Amino acid sequence: MAPPQHRRVRAVLVLLAATALAAGGCARSDAGNPASAKDSGKVVVACGATEEWCSAMTTRFTKETGIKAEFVRLSSGETVARLQAGKANPEFDVWHGGPADGFVAAGEQGLLDPYVSANAATIPARYKDPTGLWTGVYVGVLGFCNNTKILAEKKVAAPRSWQDLLNPGLAKDVGIAHPSTSGTAYTMLWTQTALHQGADGALDYMKRLHPNVLQYSKSGIAPAQQAARGEVGVGVIFSHDCVATQEQGFKDLSLTFPSEGTGYEVGGVALVHGAHNPSSARRYIDWTLTPAAQEIGPTVKSYQVPTNPQAKLSDKTVDLSQVKLVDYDVAAAGRAKKDLTKRFDAEVAQAPKS
Amino acid sequence: MTLLEKSPQAQPQPAGPRPRPRRRSRDIGVVAAVAASVLLVVVGSVYPLAAVLSTALSGPALPRYAEFATSSVDLTILRNTLVLGLLVGGFGTALGFLFAFVQTRLAVPGKRILHVVALVPVVSPPFAVATAAIVLYGRRGAVTHGLLGVDYDIYGLDGLVFVLSLSLFPVAYLGMLGMMRGLDPAMEEAAMNMGASRWQIFRTVQLPLLAPGLAAPFLLLFVEAIADLANPLALGGDYTVLASRAYLAVTGEYDTTSAAVYSLILLVPSVGLYLAQRYWLGRKIRTTITGRPSGSVHLITGWARWPIFGLAVLVALLVVSLYGTVVVGSVTRVFGVDNTVTFEHFREVLLGAGRSALQDTTLLAAVATPIAGVFGLLIAWLVTRHLRRSAGWLDFAGTLGVAVPGTVLGIGYLLAYRPDRYIGDLLVLPGLVGGTAVAGGSLAIVLAYITRSVPAGLRTGGAALTQLHPSLEEASVNLGAGSFRTFRAVVLPLIRPALLTGLSYSFARSMTSISTVILLVTPNTKIITSQILSAANTGRYGVAFAYCTVLTAIVLAGFGLIRLLVGGTVTLYRTAAPAGRKQR
Repeated sequence: MAPPQHRRVRAVLVLLAATALAAGGCARSDAGNPASAKDSGKVVVACGATEEWCSAMTTRFTKETGIKAEFVRLSSGETVARLQAGKANPEFDVWHGGPADGFVAAGEQGLLDPYVSANAATIPARYKDPTGLWTGVYVGVLGFCNNTKILAEKKVAAPRSWQDLLNPGLAKDVGIAHPSTSGTAYTMLWTQTALHQGADGALDYMKRLHPNVLQYSKSGIAPAQQAARGEVGVGVIFSHDCVATQEQGFKDLSLTFPSEGTGYEVGGVALVHGAHNPSSARRYIDWTLTPAAQEIGPTVKSYQVPTNPQAKLSDKTVDLSQVKLVDYDVAAAGRAKKDLTKRFDAEVAQAPKS
Repeated sequence: MTLLEKSPQAQPQPAGPRPRPRRRSRDIGVVAAVAASVLLVVVGSVYPLAAVLSTALSGPALPRYAEFATSSVDLTILRNTLVLGLLVGGFGTALGFLFAFVQTRLAVPGKRILHVVALVPVVSPPFAVATAAIVLYGRRGAVTHGLLGVDYDIYGLDGLVFVLSLSLFPVAYLGMLGMMRGLDPAMEEAAMNMGASRWQIFRTVQLPLLAPGLAAPFLLLFVEAIADLANPLALGGDYTVLASRAYLAVTGEYDTTSAAVYSLILLVPSVGLYLAQRYWLGRKIRTTITGRPSGSVHLITGWARWPIFGLAVLVALLVVSLYGTVVVGSVTRVFGVDNTVTFEHFREVLLGAGRSALQDTTLLAAVATPIAGVFGLLIAWLVTRHLRRSAGWLDFAGTLGVAVPGTVLGIGYLLAYRPDRYIGDLLVLPGLVGGTAVAGGSLAIVLAYITRSVPAGLRTGGAALTQLHPSLEEASVNLGAGSFRTFRAVVLPLIRPALLTGLSYSFARSMTSISTVILLVTPNTKIITSQILSAANTGRYGVAFAYCTVLTAIVLAGFGLIRLLVGGTVTLYRTAAPAGRKQR
């Protein structure tokens, strides 16, 4: 027989469990009902670029429009996870920055609302979604970020093609991020898909590259740091990240591009499904497409190419006409992302290095 | 007096050799304490975890288990995880024991310095250690490559064990320090009088007495090591563990189902080890504190102290070198490349973008710390003294905050507390998580801090309480004091070192926690650790180091304040300080 005290304890437990179950049973899931679409004169941004860039963008937007803007910096994977979790009551109004592949994946899950901004007319068609699901705000090109000092020590010339990267002299001396977390690395994986006409060829190339990879880091920018510090000889990253790292004082870095053709990202901006501040969000999107907004990047060491042809280019920005680009199908890349990264993880990333 | 006995009090067994007098049935204090504790663990960990489990056990998740069991890749990840946990648990506990032993049993100079050095790793995010380790001991490390000229590859298992052991051993150290200081020296004196050598005393008296105390930190380090995320990401190389794989599934593949499956599998070793440890502890309980320890400690003065001391100093030097790099790196432009002194990084952290993060984080951690510290001890006390069949469940639920990987707990919070809850049309529980939530989402962050910190107090409190004979409390109850008063007036003062440890650790843990809160950060509540991650990800190591330095300073100030308020110094240094020896 349990003493009375324990009966009481058990009663408390049962009561608590019942409350939890009752509360758990009735979450509301009416996403984006019109009643919530009142605008409170501010905009909350899920920002996929660097902290400095996000901060500079939102501050300037507030200054020019008087609309309050807040942001959280999130990688594209995190953003989708949080948009998913907050589907019924989204905390963000706009998603700004990060490769468009991720936007396509989010759009497939109904996490974004189409919005064709009037300002999008000036953006070239290849940098935007025809239905307005996302619109491009910048373009970044993949390149090789080389530590010349290390390469000289290893007596290896700076790679100028994807084939050069397979050089056995670069064993464990190439830095790449993991395509599951990093939009950068996924761009590289899809670039191989485009170059090798299909996933099998791409994975085969990655398998041959595998012995040269030090580790698949989480963040796409990390290989720039690894190269800068001499942990690896070559980092495969977006060229603007390499330039920004050079700017931080790493003088040994040099930038080359693969001769077979390289991949590129289109950084997007999109309206979140069921946003609490839809009209402010639309104004924010309109603003990000203006030349003035796209010229902010270089002031905070973000040297991506603006999508608006009227925006002035910084002399540190890569000249797209000088680099051979692959035919990069953003929509197909976004749709294939889940399966391809899964295959990469199972077939390449976990394989032992000989 | 020291008693050795087969005792049931820590175990929920209905009958023991000497039945304890039952507390009066209308002891309102205990009922209130149970209710509060249960509410906390249900809201803080059980319910969010249930939300994750319901996802992990839903229809679409089931085929994943078969996939896991047949995939050699997945099985390798599982083995990697277990190996890492065992090695870090072993090394970390050994290091903690080494430092505690030097502190309490050796007659050597500079013990206070060693104590401070051993505390430093508690107070900074593990990420700082990983980066500093790469900078110093990596492939192009200032020490390995620059000084010694070797090509050491830190990436992989050895680097992970190195970094994790050094970051986590203070947990073991703090727990064992309190316990070794509480050890009654009378037993050692008796053995010594009978002519036992130092080694014999160590092997046959101290070690058996401390064995339960060694199991607790081992468990804690094991689960922390296998749940750790920052380090496998920073220098895991191709050594993948379950936590990083689950994280990858969430952040990379938008696949909460797979993440939940990996987490479930990650839970099995933690829970298994936890239960094994409980069973083992339950078989032999040794109570050594029966009031104040009597007699005085005989410090080792022979030659044997020097090699032991040397080992501790070497470890301390490693710790100092790593954190020195953090501090120096925060005032240089780019450490190792451009060593110009600059205060740019600090300006950004203290006056620029970092200021609101500093304020928010400190405030939230300060709110969470006392709640977590007191609840940790309260639950430990309820579990060891007052509950029987339900004890194991409450203890288990209290430990969930650390047994469950932070990322998974964070996802659980998102699933459980993100939406507004209605009964009919009545709003019963507004959303707690996210920018649109009550108080800008800070409630959920505080709750996460508390939940993640309670197990520390629970472990140290539990270890301290198993050494505290219940007769003292029985005497208090027999004299007419209520259970609650007994707790406050008898138990708390006796286990004050454990309270001090619990509070200090809670504060440090809250301030440096990343894996859970990273998912809960909102536009209006910024958290230092997420700022650090952001800075590190974009390669602004100087800013990251500056954040770490400021964070460490805040946590150390917090330690001082907690010490002042709890008044731990008297108890902590009573037996080993030179003054104690002069009293004889």
